[in-house]
Amino acid sequence: MPTIANAHNNLIHDAILDYYGKRLATCSSDKTIKIFEVEGENHKLVETLTGHEGPVWRVDWAHPKFGTILASCSYDGKVLIWKEENGRWAQIAVHAVHSASVNSVQWAPHEYGALLLAASSDGKVSVVEFKENGTIAPLVIDAHAIGVNAASWAPSTIQEGPGAQQLRRFVTGGADNLVKIWKYNHDAQSYVLEDTLEGHSDWVRDVAWSPSVLLRSYIASVSQDRTCIIWSQEHDGGPWKKSLLQQEKFPDVLWRASWSLSGNILALSGGDNKITLWKEDLQGKWEPAGEVQE
Amino acid sequence: MTGYVGGDPYESPTFGKALSLRVDGGVNAISINPSGRDVVLASRQGLHVIDLDDPFSPPRWLRHITPWQVADVQWSPHPAKPHWVVSTSNQKAIIWNLARSSSDAIEHVLHKHFRAITDINFNHQHPDILATCSIDTYVHAWDMRSPSRPFYTTREWVAGASQVKWSFKDQNVLASAHGNEVSIWDLRKGSTPLGKLLGHESGVNSIDFNRFKNDEIMTGSNDGTVKFWDYSVSCTEAKRTIRTDFPIWRGRYLPFGEGCCLLPTIGGGDSVYLASLTNSVKKENSDTKLQPIYAFKGHTNRVIDFLWRSRSSSDAQVDDREFQLVTWSKDCDLRLWPVPNTIYDKVNLDRSKRLEETFPNYEYMTYNKEPADSRPEVSNDYRRRKEKFVTSSGIHKNDDVNYITWLSGVRMNHTGSPENIFTERTIQNLGEEVSSIGHKFPKIIFEKISVSTGELIITLNGPWSDDNPEEYVFLRIDVKVPTAYPSKGNSPQFSIEDNGNLKQEQREEISRKLEEIANKYTDSGMYCLEPCLRLLLGETINLDDLNQEIEPILNFEITDQIGLENLSSLPSSDGTSQYLSDTSSETQSDHYKAVFDSSENKELRNPFGRDLTFDSTPVPNECGAVWTPTGQLLCFFMSESNLEKKQQTMLRLTGKTRHQKEHKTGPRAWESKDSSAEKPTRKNSTRPKRYVETISTQLVSSKSINYSSDDQDSDGYSTDSFDNDWSDILRNEVVVRTKLPPLHGNFTKKFTSVHSDSAKTMDSWKKLKNIIFIKDFSHLISDRKELALEYHLTNSNLEQVARNNALVAEKYNLDEISHCWQVLSDMLMTKEISDPYDLMWDNHPMGIRWFVKEAIKFFEKKNNLQMLAMLCCVVASQATKHLKTAEDEDESRPLSRGKVESLVTFRNNDTMRSVRADLHSHYSSSLASSSVEGLNKNRHSPDEVSVKSEDYFSARHQSYNVRTISSSPPLPTRSQQPFQSRLPDLNVRLIQDEVLDAIDDPERHLLDPEDAKKFRFYSYQYAKLLYRWDLPMERVKILKISFSTNSTASDIASQMIDENKDLFGGITTTWEANDERSVHFQNCNYCGLKVTRSIFVCQICEHIMHSTCATEWWQSSQECASGCGCCCPEAFPM
Repeated sequence: MPTIANAHNNLIHDAILDYYGKRLATCSSDKTIKIFEVEGENHKLVETLTGHEGPVWRVDWAHPKFGTILASCSYDGKVLIWKEENGRWAQIAVHAVHSASVNSVQWAPHEYGALLLAASSDGKVSVVEFKENGTIAPLVIDAHAIGVNAASWAPSTIQEGPGAQQLRRFVTGGADNLVKIWKYNHDAQSYVLEDTLEGHSDWVRDVAWSPSVLLRSYIASVSQDRTCIIWSQEHDGGPWKKSLLQQEKFPDVLWRASWSLSGNILALSGGDNKITLWKEDLQGKWEPAGEVQE
Repeated sequence: MTGYVGGDPYESPTFGKALSLRVDGGVNAISINPSGRDVVLASRQGLHVIDLDDPFSPPRWLRHITPWQVADVQWSPHPAKPHWVVSTSNQKAIIWNLARSSSDAIEHVLHKHFRAITDINFNHQHPDILATCSIDTYVHAWDMRSPSRPFYTTREWVAGASQVKWSFKDQNVLASAHGNEVSIWDLRKGSTPLGKLLGHESGVNSIDFNRFKNDEIMTGSNDGTVKFWDYSVSCTEAKRTIRTDFPIWRGRYLPFGEGCCLLPTIGGGDSVYLASLTNSVKKENSDTKLQPIYAFKGHTNRVIDFLWRSRSSSDAQVDDREFQLVTWSKDCDLRLWPVPNTIYDKVNLDRSKRLEETFPNYEYMTYNKEPADSRPEVSNDYRRRKEKFVTSSGIHKNDDVNYITWLSGVRMNHTGSPENIFTERTIQNLGEEVSSIGHKFPKIIFEKISVSTGELIITLNGPWSDDNPEEYVFLRIDVKVPTAYPSKGNSPQFSIEDNGNLKQEQREEISRKLEEIANKYTDSGMYCLEPCLRLLLGETINLDDLNQEIEPILNFEITDQIGLENLSSLPSSDGTSQYLSDTSSETQSDHYKAVFDSSENKELRNPFGRDLTFDSTPVPNECGAVWTPTGQLLCFFMSESNLEKKQQTMLRLTGKTRHQKEHKTGPRAWESKDSSAEKPTRKNSTRPKRYVETISTQLVSSKSINYSSDDQDSDGYSTDSFDNDWSDILRNEVVVRTKLPPLHGNFTKKFTSVHSDSAKTMDSWKKLKNIIFIKDFSHLISDRKELALEYHLTNSNLEQVARNNALVAEKYNLDEISHCWQVLSDMLMTKEISDPYDLMWDNHPMGIRWFVKEAIKFFEKKNNLQMLAMLCCVVASQATKHLKTAEDEDESRPLSRGKVESLVTFRNNDTMRSVRADLHSHYSSSLASSSVEGLNKNRHSPDEVSVKSEDYFSARHQSYNVRTISSSPPLPTRSQQPFQSRLPDLNVRLIQDEVLDAIDDPERHLLDPEDAKKFRFYSYQYAKLLYRWDLPMERVKILKISFSTNSTASDIASQMIDENKDLFGGITTTWEANDERSVHFQNCNYCGLKVTRSIFVCQICEHIMHSTCATEWWQSSQECASGCGCCCPEAFPM
């Protein structure tokens, strides 16, 4: 993999590889999104997407079964959906229900359909479904009073029986120092609060639901209070157990948490410009597994 | 040029003019409506129908997306079938009916060729007859009244056919080109050619019969010659040869006079050449060099085909036809060329001669528009289903975006000289103007564009609110453009729709201004839409400058004049960055004021009209790390030098503000030395939390950097005047941001670039700023692609599977995993030799079952999905193996008491299959692949092991297959006894077997049946992982393993539902669609009703009847009921 220097004229806020690891999307305060094609040691800038009117915070690739689709969110309060067709990128949809900066976007597990979760500083999260008939159906939910900083889907779980409904859940972290779990209620046709997790003493900056589905569910939340909490749940409906990733505080605020593909390793990044890796041992304790510095 | 779109070729706005249309999309074939109104372009995406009289309206698109290049397309030349177009799709030919809705336009599919079709030709006399030829060497002639099979077939073994053409004069004669030879056929004489034209030294690319003389034909070849033959005289010696210095791609007689038109395959200046054939040919003069009388030159890539667009008066007594050449080239331009009058003379077109028969009267209409009574789009759905992502309907339906691109591809001129027109790039007409505006102002939405009638409906947001100058008001403007626009006195009429947000007076005011601008511009003959729209968007239009501007439309860049000039006057190379930053912000705010006349008293507001005091957007992250699917960590950082500076300044600043706010005393802010010492603790308490705070710090920081770099005094200065600076800067910043209106198209772009440039100098961001790299941490991740690649899963010998996997793991130094496989393999080995009836060992406390359970527990803790899934699958397939042996013996096993296992075998009789495969040809592949094994596949009952097919997808074929058969059980047994042998054999056998009993016993399983659900889930998750790793075969193997221990009917049912659900897209969906087709079989040739079941199919002529009808018919007749002349009963001994 190549090193790409100075891809943007300003801070980079997110970079993510697509499903097959062939394309890289980056976004920045310079209001643009760049798409790179990555092949071995080489990389090639294939497109610069402009359209946002503010810094772009996060990008996310949709599952390839929907096409080559990218969602991006920005300070301008909009979520833009981009699509590549025959080598051409075009903006195909705008999701603008939020009245303040949209801080994170994430596509739902592909089994649910083209479902997008967006978290905004206006205190709301929205779940937008891009339906087959061309309509979009946004559900807007009041989540955290001051602002929602991050939202993350739970991995899909298949349940037995014909016509079984998947248990759709997601987690949000907000400026009210709380982490909240939301669950889809079929009768209400909406997402209802399932649990509220208290533990942080400052803004929650990022939440990440582990893709691991083996024994229990894990959520990592990182906060402005320089801690990372791992929340775990043994079985659906059970209580969430809180455990600090490490007892002492991190040297600086934490910005971002990311789980590896099957949930083995947690990567944290923070204000000290350092990335730390964490791994759970057999006793269920979290131990450092590596560190990356620039 | 605008205004007219309608029914008379003599009022056509494009005839006799030069026109160029840019059509992207790999179009490879073109044909023209005989009326000359439409052209059809064929590409891998389907057909595009373009109305030549209204080139500004986008083409009608008939979707037919195939991976095969379309070799040929032809519009039916007959007035009786003006809506028919035939195109090729690999080995099939498709007859489109353009009078139907685009989703349902395919009328017939002709499928008899084995390889790609290369050419299609409609018979010139008979509207229902056409010929196809293919590289499979066959030439077929088809009758559309019974399109299921050709009525005439011939072949030339020597080479694949490249061309087939009907004679103009004799409806039974056709010619086909095979390699270097051309064969002439007569339908009435079977497959013996009338003659073979031998003489070309290289492949023949084109054939054309003479329109006026019988037996005359011209051929063009790669050897660079065009030969003219009279095959009634000689087939080996051409009457005349024209030599050129390029290979000939197409050579055809002119439709008028005596001449021919030649097209080079390569070279020849990408031109189309006209040559005269008038001078009487003497024997010695028969071989000449090409002396073109005219060349149409202008394409930049090779020309693929040419056509003649003609018009004539309907009741003409003499030949008054006029022509226009239409060419399609690889440079993606469709061009229309006026034909100079001199050409007509040079080819001896006799205009005075009385016509023997009038020209056929074609209805001058277009198929560019979707027919009004189009049926609901049903059949089209399945093509889209593959990609389920659907966009908001509005954009897609109207194709607004495409329209603009389409418009920008249209170039037309008013006079007849093609050469300069195709190169000149000034705006020539309304269409080009609209397209240029569309590109310049992406935020303007064109709700309706009708260039031909001069109607536009535009919506946009303009700063016209009275109460709040920052608020944008939605405007909808109806524009009527007169035909003579932009000449004097023909200014467009703008009417702004009533709007609650816009006061009446203001609306009138805008309208008045618009009118003024429009008049002023059109008075000088200039296009005025752009300045009008700029006004609507809130810019000031200076009409006084109009006269000084030479090209107001093309060079109307406000920013050029104000923004960049000012900036460029700045001493940008000068090191005094303080000066620079000050000036730049000043000049910026200055000219914002100038441009927008903005009010000074801005509150703390951000560009999107939000109150900054309540903006809780957190400070953005400056670095981060995200995992990639392959276990690598994608990291992005801000670079060090930059970062430190920024942190320090940020720190200092926040420190300052705090000081000022809290103590109002501190004369000095922290110096960088202090702060760096205190960094770890201090920083966090002072680090700003909200994004808003950093917006301001970013600006301020630049200043403080300058101060500190100057000297200590400036620090004091900075604190003193800090409040002022702060508010100044804030204001500037806010102004900057509020004045970033999204609606200004180009303007915004320019503007932001100006801004960021200055920001660069301010913050000394010139150095390496950010970096993205990937760090490999795959050693930390237990799921590995390499392992997945090398692991074995299914094999006859499980012990070997485990041993192999152990070695694989060892190779990658994974001791734990390797050990686990090793132990498993040892345990399986003992199993091998043990009697399958002996189940005791399995349940032993230290036995294999226990081991598996423990191993699974361990790897669950280790979070090793790959190992879990592999273990489960390998062990689960253990039970399978024994079943296999049982199945092998099933034939010999006597039926006795015990459990009953059913085996269903489905055997296709060979002949039967071929007939059926032909019958619904488009399923042939599926039929073939889901052969015998396909049917008895039952994935979830224990007998699934009898499935030998490795193909996971056959499960899908299976369900489909069943459907087909039940809907059309081939032959009735009652009346057609002799045919029974052609039926597929269906055997149902009950087998009783104590081995099966044992296996069905849940105890037999090495996995705990309680956990089956969990294991299935693991394997499903692992399958997902494999798919992501691009290992579909491995994924299929995993999914094949079933964990159901005691399968009940409902269990199977639910499983089937699960499996058939499209997990990864793009695999299953097409089948649903074909299903629909399968019902639209054919009609009975006797009673004329639809045949859905109990069919009789003649194997020779393939006509079908209801079985009952067949019985009735053959009691009285020996011939086929369709009247095709086939003696069907003779084919089968009855």
